[in-house]
Amino acid sequence: MTTLEKQLLAAPNNRRYRVTVTAIVLLLLAWSLAAVSFKDMNESGWNIAVRILSGITHPDLDLLLNVSEQSVPYLLLQTVAIAFMGTIVGAVVSVPLAFLAASNIVPKPAAWLTRLLLIAIRTIPALVYGLMFIRVSGPGPFAGVLTVGITSIGMLTKLYVDAIEELDVRVLESMTSIGCTTFEKVRFGIIPQLLSLFLSVTIYRFDMNMREASILGLVGAGGIGAPLIFAMNSYKWNQVGSILIGLVILILLIEWISNKLRARLVQG
Amino acid sequence: MYDKIFPPKRIVLPSGKTVLQRRTRVPLIVLLLAAAVAWSVQLTEFNLHMLVTRIGEFFKFIGDMTPPRWDYLPHLWRALAATLQMSLLGSMLGSLLALPMAVAASTNIIRNRALVSLAKIVLSLLRTLPTLVTALIATFVFGLGPMAGVVAIMLFTVSYVGKLLYEQIENIDMGPFEAMESIGMTRLEAFRYAVIPQVLPSYLSTSLFCFEGNVRYASILGYVGAGGVGLLINENIGWRDYGGVGMIITALIVTVYVIETVSEHFRKKLI
Amino acid sequence: MIAFINVDKTYANGTAALSQINLKIGKGEFVAVIGLSGAGKSTLIRCINRMHDITGGQLNVDGIDVSKLRGKQVRRLRRRIGMIFQSFNLVTRTSVINNVLVSFAPDLPMWRKLTGIYTRDQKLKALEALEKVGILDKAFVRVDQLSGGQQQRVALARTLAQSPDIILADEPIASLDPVTSKMVMDDFKRINQDMNITVIMNIHHVEVALDYADRIIGVRKGAVVFDGPSGKVTQEILDYIYGGGGPNDEAAASLEEERSTHVR
Repeated sequence: MTTLEKQLLAAPNNRRYRVTVTAIVLLLLAWSLAAVSFKDMNESGWNIAVRILSGITHPDLDLLLNVSEQSVPYLLLQTVAIAFMGTIVGAVVSVPLAFLAASNIVPKPAAWLTRLLLIAIRTIPALVYGLMFIRVSGPGPFAGVLTVGITSIGMLTKLYVDAIEELDVRVLESMTSIGCTTFEKVRFGIIPQLLSLFLSVTIYRFDMNMREASILGLVGAGGIGAPLIFAMNSYKWNQVGSILIGLVILILLIEWISNKLRARLVQG
Repeated sequence: MYDKIFPPKRIVLPSGKTVLQRRTRVPLIVLLLAAAVAWSVQLTEFNLHMLVTRIGEFFKFIGDMTPPRWDYLPHLWRALAATLQMSLLGSMLGSLLALPMAVAASTNIIRNRALVSLAKIVLSLLRTLPTLVTALIATFVFGLGPMAGVVAIMLFTVSYVGKLLYEQIENIDMGPFEAMESIGMTRLEAFRYAVIPQVLPSYLSTSLFCFEGNVRYASILGYVGAGGVGLLINENIGWRDYGGVGMIITALIVTVYVIETVSEHFRKKLI
Repeated sequence: MIAFINVDKTYANGTAALSQINLKIGKGEFVAVIGLSGAGKSTLIRCINRMHDITGGQLNVDGIDVSKLRGKQVRRLRRRIGMIFQSFNLVTRTSVINNVLVSFAPDLPMWRKLTGIYTRDQKLKALEALEKVGILDKAFVRVDQLSGGQQQRVALARTLAQSPDIILADEPIASLDPVTSKMVMDDFKRINQDMNITVIMNIHHVEVALDYADRIIGVRKGAVVFDGPSGKVTQEILDYIYGGGGPNDEAAASLEEERSTHVR
């Protein structure tokens, strides 16, 4: 029994570490509970919740189905277009940035500097970009495109960099042995490796940008967001319902297509 | 379909054997993409000329924000704290709620097909709604203030963590689960002792990652009245106090950076 | 004592896995069940602890009709029957001792289940079980750092901690090399003899089965075709169990194989 007890005492003791982490988490939780308050939630809150639900179940079918410039289908199409163009703009900017941030392509300090720039770009909230670009292009979908573009840069670049840093360099070695020039190595050795990965990442980001584009209308940058806010602020819940239904269907559809496309890209 | 319109090309080798090569689809894809771009350019009023001539305004805006107005910092603490509180509480509650949701959505744990599909549908619907829209709806129900932000962030966290978690659970090795059942555990107990230890590290890691993102999201929720620094950004831009906006953004960058570093430290330990 | 009385087992998809099984296995026996893959070996032993339900006949464990048990009674039955798997079925991400301690979990109060904290007494018992299979020094190592043979012994320790009357082993050495197989089989033999625990084992390696088991049960196409002491097993009997002879047997074997993947 003595060897058993000795072994029992030999158990690694990380209780102090666990207790500390638990205590910190609990303290943070207690502190953040200050954000909870039901004092502003009066009866009208419940009424509105009920009315929102009934709005969603009784959508404004006319708005949902006609095809004028204020209708849901048109605005959704515009939202898709914003997300699409924004993704393209973001991808165009991200590709060179990714090569500048890849530590196996450029010297370490340059890569580090680019990464710092990327953190700064990523942290500024999308709505702030929206406001900034409205000063460039005036209110409208174009500002939305630019905003979606710049907010895509952070993630796109990061994932592109991952792809670049995982390049299989043995292929290049064998190409050198055949006698390929640098251009030929890039064209037949690097691009085929990167293209499908880059495309897959870009499609994924397009899918995410749909959500991004659908809120930019809030600051006047086009898309479905503006009429949604307008309908909410004027308590037209059945309009809100029809817009939300359209949006949800569209986003699910695009997510489905994007998953299908990416699965095919990966399988080749 | 495509193969029928453009039948595969026949190549006859000198040896007399034939090889069928499928026609490449690249031209079609390029054509479709070009059409989509052209249409989108029209729909979005894309204008490269305007972008080139007026992009100066964008940098002028950034110029206006620098240097940040440091004396504005003391006014910022409360809003910054509210932003953090919102994202902390929303992330914690959301991650906790995600656990039962993810279990309910896992085909290998729950035998009831209807419950599984219901949970999956709820999760994907929640994920579809943009956080800002849920926040806006929440302000109508819970009133203006951080509470609406907490609800919006919580709902987003449930959907995000819940989806990743059920994918994890569905892909685990069910061997230990079987062993636990053979020991005489209920399915729930077997889940606790066989599945939780397998998914816990990645669950915590996902929750932390989601929290990082939520801090960034929480900073704009104020724009629709859900508390935090977003409200100040909105006000300051209205008053054209760009130095103040610069200060807010600087403070946000520092906060986000610190939180990301801390969270990354713990996430590395978990894996 | 375990008694199979005219036991039938038909899967939901109509496959008949067991038909008319009649067996009596006494306390403390070491039984090896041999036969082709898909012959029904695995189903046979899984019926004993109700991991599978039988569809006909009667299966008694110590006089209790297993098929009549419900919910909690089934779990109480399983507490007395240990089970060892081909792929060890351990939680690889946590330590060896935690894997052994789960044996005590079903009887713990709620708060201990939630927090995963065990008593000192239980820890000592777990260590004792580890000592019996000779891997006490690995108690606080993570399971994924161990070799296959060591992992199977952790699984054995987990079963021992349950202090079972019967151990069911489903291909315990199928994923081990010959040397570690021998060590694990030695453990089984010792447990069987020293602690008088009944061992019922499915096994592919006929020579190993003949070396270690007291009694061999040959299963072919869901029926028991041989049942006797291991000394009485001859080459003809093995040929018959493994379907040698007739020209169609290979086809039948591959059909069985297919069927087994269907069933699993």
